[in-house]
Amino acid sequence: MGNIVEVSGLKKRYKDFEAVKGVDLYVKEGEIFGFLGPNGAGKSTTINMLSTIIKPSEGMAKVNGYDNVTEKNKVRASIGLIFQESTLDEKLTANENLMLHCKFYGIEKQKREERIQEVLQIVDLTDRRSDIVETFSGGMKRRLEIARGLLHYPKVLFLDEPTVGLDPQTRAHIWEYILKLKEKAGITIFLTTHYMDEAEICDRVAVMDNGQLIALDTPEQLKSNVGGDIIEVSTEDNQTAKKIIEDTYQTEVTEMENNLLSFQVSKGSEFLVEFVKQFDIPLTSVNLRRPTLNDVFLHLTGREIREETVSQKDLMKKNMQRGPH
Amino acid sequence: MEGIIAIWQRDVIKFFRDRARLIGSFAMPFMFLILFGSGMSGAMSSMMGGANQGPLADFDFVQFMFPGIIGMTVFNTAIFSALSVVQDKEFGYMREILVSPMSRVSIAIGKVLGGSTVALFQGLMMLIFVPFIGVSISFVMIFQLIPVMFLVAFALSSLGLLIASSLKTSQGFQMIIQILIFPMLFLSGALFPLSGMPAWMNFLVKINPLTYSVDMFKKIILQPDQMAPALREAMGLDLTVFNHIITFSEEIIVVALLSIIFVVLATMRFSRTEA
Ligand SMILES: Nc1ncnc2c1ncn2[C@@H]1O[C@H](COP(=O)(O)OP(=O)(O)OP(=O)(O)O)[C@@H](O)[C@H]1O
Ligand SMILES: [Mg+2]
Repeated sequence: MGNIVEVSGLKKRYKDFEAVKGVDLYVKEGEIFGFLGPNGAGKSTTINMLSTIIKPSEGMAKVNGYDNVTEKNKVRASIGLIFQESTLDEKLTANENLMLHCKFYGIEKQKREERIQEVLQIVDLTDRRSDIVETFSGGMKRRLEIARGLLHYPKVLFLDEPTVGLDPQTRAHIWEYILKLKEKAGITIFLTTHYMDEAEICDRVAVMDNGQLIALDTPEQLKSNVGGDIIEVSTEDNQTAKKIIEDTYQTEVTEMENNLLSFQVSKGSEFLVEFVKQFDIPLTSVNLRRPTLNDVFLHLTGREIREETVSQKDLMKKNMQRGPH
Repeated sequence: MEGIIAIWQRDVIKFFRDRARLIGSFAMPFMFLILFGSGMSGAMSSMMGGANQGPLADFDFVQFMFPGIIGMTVFNTAIFSALSVVQDKEFGYMREILVSPMSRVSIAIGKVLGGSTVALFQGLMMLIFVPFIGVSISFVMIFQLIPVMFLVAFALSSLGLLIASSLKTSQGFQMIIQILIFPMLFLSGALFPLSGMPAWMNFLVKINPLTYSVDMFKKIILQPDQMAPALREAMGLDLTVFNHIITFSEEIIVVALLSIIFVVLATMRFSRTEA
């Protein structure tokens, strides 16, 4: 299968600040492509350039074979877009929002009813069709937006943090829909997230930090690059323990939140047996696990993405933006 | 084309759904007509020389104001309709519109037509006051009023869109519109007769597009042709430019030309919007 998205040397400058510093990537047709990175990494900025919302300062992007600058309208017709912030008209009903979308995208009259029924079914909102969107819960609004983004059968669906601020149950639901979509419609999905578990579902993940891609691979490959297993310990004297571990095992130890020391070893279980036997400082907890994408990020940047604080902040940001109507 | 209709339709649906706004829209005209109009009418007649007989005895200030109030309603509604453009930016819906494959030109035209339609409805709703103020309005007049209201509304909606396209916040938009619309309204002859003004003010009145718009409403509703010349004069109904009494068709041309200029500028400005 061909590449449905092709990007080379993409940059975006705001005055003297470079938000995106030269991104190269491609997305294969039918793939779920994830964009992972902390707040301000430049994920939204990149997605906005890919979807013709903002103009790149430099570089080239092609979606569905069309150039994002010179063939904007063709790109727009080939993509569906779910923004980080809600773009529903909350004073209208779900049906009206969907119907307007059909008209904006020139969907033929005879097909509209069928399509609306279809997408509402995918997101389980059939029975709320004639309700005013204002009366929907956050998760329902998000689902309606996804449904709307699908109405015109886009080749690529861009989702900017599709599940941010939603409870775990709704997040799981939305993911179910996204996966269902991929299977049913063969749509290519390009999404951004800072939830690790969401990035795990993707076929390939690009890790972004400070406007640059610092890694791009399948989640498995990324994790295997971390090199072995992760050991997390806490001791009665973390400072000394850190020094001893670094000296004895020649591995880099990172201090995490919750007083944890984290480091990598190649053969986790065998290491652990020896380690516990030999270590002098009293241990308060020991944990062995497979690397996650969070470790990948840590490995690449020396920092954690910090899901919790991030999602809190985002929730606030979102509430402020939606504002009172 | 479909897109233009969709954008238009959304504004019209939302207008009829917003009951509070619908009812609230009667408040200003009501206050002007009843409080201001009735209150001033005594003072006005005494200024007219306290004439109890002769042509000036027919002067009724509330009736005089009525076309102006219709005008005011149409202007306000039309120019404020562009507030929805700014609000759509604030609440995000503008992005849904802008990332669709519709051309920016259709979006702009749809918005202007939506605003014009809503303003036309608002203007027509003012006819509810007719039975209470003693003007008589025939069906012929209503059929004349409709296209004129629409034309005027179109010009003002375009002006609104032009302003809205450069702004990001509703507060900013509302402030600029207030600053703009009040002097234009006062210098249009909507609220008091345009007679015996100082020269500088006269000049401002003549370059004010609302003057010609209001005058069209007056010509349709007050039928100045059938009035005594003295009364017509006192009501300021003989609008002259360079000693030429301007005709109804000339006013249509003026407003139509302005509409074209405004809508072209607004469309150009709107096309540069980034989501
Ligand atoms: N219009 C703008 N003007 C100036 N700077 C901007 C603008 N938009 C974004 N930026 C900056 O560009 C950087 C990247 O922002 P972006 O929204 O792409 O981040 P993100 O990765 O999507 O983060 P988040 O996870 O918070 O959504 C940030 O530092 C932001 O402040
Ligand atoms: Mg973002």
